[in-house]
Amino acid sequence: MDPTTLLSILDVTLAQTSDAVAATGISGKDLMKAGALIGAGICMGFGAIGPGIGEGFAAGKACEAIGRSPQDAGLLTRTMLIGQAVSESTGIYALVVALLMLFVVGA
Amino acid sequence: MELDAQTWEFLGRYLGAGFALGLGGIGAAMGMGRAAAQASEAIMRQPKIKGEMLRTMLIGQAVGGSPSIFALVVGLYILFIPASNPAEVGGNFFAALFGAGICIGFGCFGSGLGCGWPAGEACDGVARNPKHGTQTTQAMIIGQAVAQSPAIFALVVSLILVMRQMPGTDLHIMGIFIGSGIAMGVSAIGSGIGSGQTAGGAVGGLAKWPKTYGTTLRSMLIGQAVCDTPAIFGMLVAFIMMFALPELEGGILGFAKVFGAAIAVGFGGIGPGIGSGMTAEQGCAATSARPDKDGLLLRTMLIGQAVSQSTAIYALIIALALLYVV
Repeated sequence: MDPTTLLSILDVTLAQTSDAVAATGISGKDLMKAGALIGAGICMGFGAIGPGIGEGFAAGKACEAIGRSPQDAGLLTRTMLIGQAVSESTGIYALVVALLMLFVVGA
Repeated sequence: MELDAQTWEFLGRYLGAGFALGLGGIGAAMGMGRAAAQASEAIMRQPKIKGEMLRTMLIGQAVGGSPSIFALVVGLYILFIPASNPAEVGGNFFAALFGAGICIGFGCFGSGLGCGWPAGEACDGVARNPKHGTQTTQAMIIGQAVAQSPAIFALVVSLILVMRQMPGTDLHIMGIFIGSGIAMGVSAIGSGIGSGQTAGGAVGGLAKWPKTYGTTLRSMLIGQAVCDTPAIFGMLVAFIMMFALPELEGGILGFAKVFGAAIAVGFGGIGPGIGSGMTAEQGCAATSARPDKDGLLLRTMLIGQAVSQSTAIYALIIALALLYVV
């Protein structure tokens, strides 16, 4: 297929999509708000994956170490909590951005 | 673009069944492969008791394969369930079947993959400690049964979705159906993998230190319960969307609310589920090695899991804010 045919097919498809959007009566403002709402969900959903796995990894290693030398449990728990708090920070960024999208951008 | 009733109907059936079986088979197959790999290694080390190891492997694979059977049942149901009113089938019918397919497909992925951990560790453990083979197999079955629970949640939600047929095409109702599937199915991935890892750690530890059966099993069950929390959040949001949503405006805004909430709670559950599983895996292994320190280890494990769950709770808050506040 030559590029001109491809472009013309794309053109017709785009025109039909925008016609369909216009026919359902969706305004640009609605579309922007909907984008902010779905964006908040994507932001918090995907943003929660990393911190969850990372914190679990840190806690797993802490359990392993406490099993080996229980007398250092206090030090190990403290180290684990500090490491987890740092790992949590990106989750909190995601929460803040999601709240901003919900209540500031999308309002 | 207007689709007629028949196109919507077959689009839903084919896409739904395809997602259900395509995704639902991946995890179970990988889990069973893991069990077979560790069994082969174990038989190489101890060829004299190959019958016992083969039995343990087959039991583990049979239990670990059940999520893919759930997916098969729901997939066939999606393909062949009669439409109550074939002339008025529209986007809502499509969305219910497609959502059910996503729900059971993703939901069975995690449990199937997770069940491979205890099965593999059990084969390894029977070779290491043949005298306590029955006990190891028993711990494996208990761990696998609990690791199935996210898949069973997904089975319930997907069957409810298949049976909720609605005529017509409404964007916000399509969002509710597809969103319920995403919220339940995707959040079950992490919980299934995490519960399986926990069971694997406990079974591996028991094979080395068989005398600590009761203590290790208790730690395993508590750890698995915490791992299943993200799947319960997902099921909660799915039920709220299907049955308890007060009023949802039509059109793209309503769709965006439920779809955003579903993505938040669904994908937000993956990380905390896997992370809690990593913690509980090491916690159980350490408990079986040092049963005298089980209180200290259980406390550390629960603190670590609770912190790991915090992002799942943020995701739940964002989902509830999308559904009720905005």
